[in-house]
Amino acid sequence: MQYEISLLTIMGISIIAALSLNLIVGFCGQISLGHAAFLGVGAYTSAMLTKAGVPFTAAVAASMLMAGIIGTVVGFTSLRVREDFLAITTMGVGFLFLGIVRKQDFLGGEMGIAMIPDPGLGKVGYLVLVLLLAATLALFSIYLKRSWMGFTFDAVADDEDTANLVGIDVSSYKLIAFAMGTAFAGLAGALYAHNIKFIDPESFGFVESITILSMVVIGGTGSVWGVTIAAGVLSIFPMWFQFIDDYKLLVYGGLLCMIMLFSPDGLSGIFGRFLNTIRGKNFNASGQ
Amino acid sequence: MLFFDLLVQGLLQGGIYALIAIGLTLVYGLLRILHVAHAGLYTLGGYIAILITNATGSFTLGITVSMVSVGFMGMVIYRLIYQPILEKPPFVALIASIGLFIAMEEIYRIVFGAYGITFADAPLQGTLNIAGIYLRHCEIGALLLAALLITSLSLFTRYSRIGIAWRATVTDPGMSQSFGVDVIKVRYLNFFIGSAMAAGAGSMVAVMNNLVEPTMGSVPSYKALAIIVLGGLGNVRGTVIAALIIGVAEAFGTIYLGNILDRDSIAFALLILVLMVKPTGLFSKG
Amino acid sequence: MLQVNNVTVVYGGVTAVMDVSFKVKDAEVMGLIGPNGAGKTTLMRVITGTVKPVQGTVFLESTPLEGKPPHKRIRLGIGLSQQIVHPFKSMTVLENVAFVAGHGKTGHPVMSVFRHSRAKEKQKAMEILHVLGIDKVAEAKPENLPLGYLKRLEVARAIALEPKILLLDEPLAGLNQLEARQLADKLLELNQLGHTILLIEHNLGEVIRICDQLVVIDNGMKIGQGEPHKVMDDAVVRSAYLGEGHHAAS
Ligand SMILES: Nc1ncnc2c1ncn2[C@@H]1O[C@H](COP(=O)(O)OP(=O)(O)OP(=O)(O)O)[C@@H](O)[C@H]1O
Ligand SMILES: [Mg+2]
Repeated sequence: MQYEISLLTIMGISIIAALSLNLIVGFCGQISLGHAAFLGVGAYTSAMLTKAGVPFTAAVAASMLMAGIIGTVVGFTSLRVREDFLAITTMGVGFLFLGIVRKQDFLGGEMGIAMIPDPGLGKVGYLVLVLLLAATLALFSIYLKRSWMGFTFDAVADDEDTANLVGIDVSSYKLIAFAMGTAFAGLAGALYAHNIKFIDPESFGFVESITILSMVVIGGTGSVWGVTIAAGVLSIFPMWFQFIDDYKLLVYGGLLCMIMLFSPDGLSGIFGRFLNTIRGKNFNASGQ
Repeated sequence: MLFFDLLVQGLLQGGIYALIAIGLTLVYGLLRILHVAHAGLYTLGGYIAILITNATGSFTLGITVSMVSVGFMGMVIYRLIYQPILEKPPFVALIASIGLFIAMEEIYRIVFGAYGITFADAPLQGTLNIAGIYLRHCEIGALLLAALLITSLSLFTRYSRIGIAWRATVTDPGMSQSFGVDVIKVRYLNFFIGSAMAAGAGSMVAVMNNLVEPTMGSVPSYKALAIIVLGGLGNVRGTVIAALIIGVAEAFGTIYLGNILDRDSIAFALLILVLMVKPTGLFSKG
Repeated sequence: MLQVNNVTVVYGGVTAVMDVSFKVKDAEVMGLIGPNGAGKTTLMRVITGTVKPVQGTVFLESTPLEGKPPHKRIRLGIGLSQQIVHPFKSMTVLENVAFVAGHGKTGHPVMSVFRHSRAKEKQKAMEILHVLGIDKVAEAKPENLPLGYLKRLEVARAIALEPKILLLDEPLAGLNQLEARQLADKLLELNQLGHTILLIEHNLGEVIRICDQLVVIDNGMKIGQGEPHKVMDDAVVRSAYLGEGHHAAS
């Protein structure tokens, strides 16, 4: 039972992380290859604060704020560079985060931070909290998609220049996407820190960024259900079957590559086409 | 003396980066794809060089076989991975490429083991004293190889017929088609040359470290991306200059910035600084 | 309404527009014509702010547009229909127009998250599609539609902004003769309802029929202005237009 509880907790945290990235990549169409850094910002903030005696709730709120602020700053770069550059810039931010944290003694350097305080909710209580937050974020995402903000994100993701020429303040919308996405990443990071109780720079490296991105892409960028399911399955799959753990990265890498080759809109795209076929509708197989 | 030591080490590292980054920037110029998996070929180059050298005792043969076979491997990747998705939005190819790169590293780990392989008898390990700076033969070899390959590339694109066609295509893919350039042939050539150069770099690094590990390409891969952006994507000369700058900046940065910034993130710090000031990179036309 | 003063545009050393000035009065249909490459689209871009002139100013009513980003200019009351169609490909035709019709709901980025009803905008979009005769394809994705429909979709979006002035860059291109005539009639109707229109168009027959005033540019320079028939009789204009002028006048 203990083991299942910890698996489900990790699953919930992964779902929050993936849904947070989905706000940026899926909804607003801005590629980000350094998302784990914002989980890192959240995790470090919350760990440092709770160790200094700040209550759990306040520390988590502060970690969201901190990650959101830094995310907005990174968002500003996104306004200045075009798409291909953005991929590399966000990746650079990820590496920069690692490079800086590794050298800061007050953040524990390479050794990281251990003995992060327990929030005192008990294992089950913490699991419930994580799942509730994940569900809230999923519902919020669904609402967002239907709101006029989501409508505008669609337009921005589709064609920025045209959105601008129908009166959309594209820059502000992009910044909002970055601010929201990175703040929720901060939440995921804080929850991770208080679950594992130990963090080090490597927990938020490039591979983690790509892992989160694979969840979004494999689920189907922009699809809340697809991303939630993909995050849930991909996060616990390797742990369930220990033998897969050894080949986890091979599976991730291979899946990423295959999905892009055969169905760039991910599982939700495959599912949608499947539904269309059984309903007998004709469909457009272009994948876009 | 420390100054010159650092400078030479920086240029050496920069030369290696340049060999890797040229292939990347060529692919970008031609297809607008960020070919992350390129560094997987660099690693593969190292493996093949060691395997062939150990089997035959000749490093010259090792590096030659490595460059040629990896060159073909690059063409295979283009054919199987990129060609089918050229028409899709750019992030599709980027993510496919990242996936491929991760999978390649994992395959190396599974096939050759996690701890990597070494030369049975590492070549070019003697040292030479040039004006007070000690360099190993392999380091001199790497510098020479970088200089040789980059110079021949620039001569090739300037004076040979197919080279000129190639350059025209990289500058303006649409334009050259109307001048009767065989775009498909140019793409294969592009992947062959870029991948072969990366394999050359991988082989030399294999000798210098006397080791090839599955993850040898990770750091250079991402750094090379930073370099080609600094160089103004698609611009070969800019890329070479940016590579040398990053190499030298790292050599000095490790000494002078060592306790605030990790060596491997210097390139990205520089990248972000430059993009803040000039969003199109250091050497872009625009 | 709209005032363009001494605008000069240089593209990397090549002068595309040279010291052009003109005024569009309230409730007027102004035609901006000239041979291919004359600089018409460039002038349009100067007005919307996607191209910076090296010299010159643009005023909408009495507001100077200089230094304002495109989206702010649009929201001051400019509705743009581009020469090269740019539909949002992920949306249906109806959604394309409804999205723009919701300009009041997207104006404040943060507040947009609190608004979710799309019913009114869809209804309004449907009306506009109906007026332009493309309501049959409301639920279609733009990808599969012929150019004539996409051109009218561009115009529909421009109208959905409820602008003070419509800037239309070759809206009739890609339409057959009948469709062109119908759309031109619609533009006239809109004009009679009080809309000001700046129309770039190669279809001189329709231009002469519906425009109150013409500005002719050639090679980046203004070579004529005035009432359509007078302008088209001008020797300079006729020679710039070669055969085209004769065809239109006949
Ligand atoms: N982005 C650009 N960069 C460089 N030159 C440009 C650019 N856009 C237009 N030009 C040039 O500026 C001149 C004016 O172009 P413009 O598109 O304004 O003409 P136009 O009057 O709209 O022509 P058409 O009737 O064909 O649409 C042309 O010579 C064109 O080649
Ligand atoms: Mg034009």
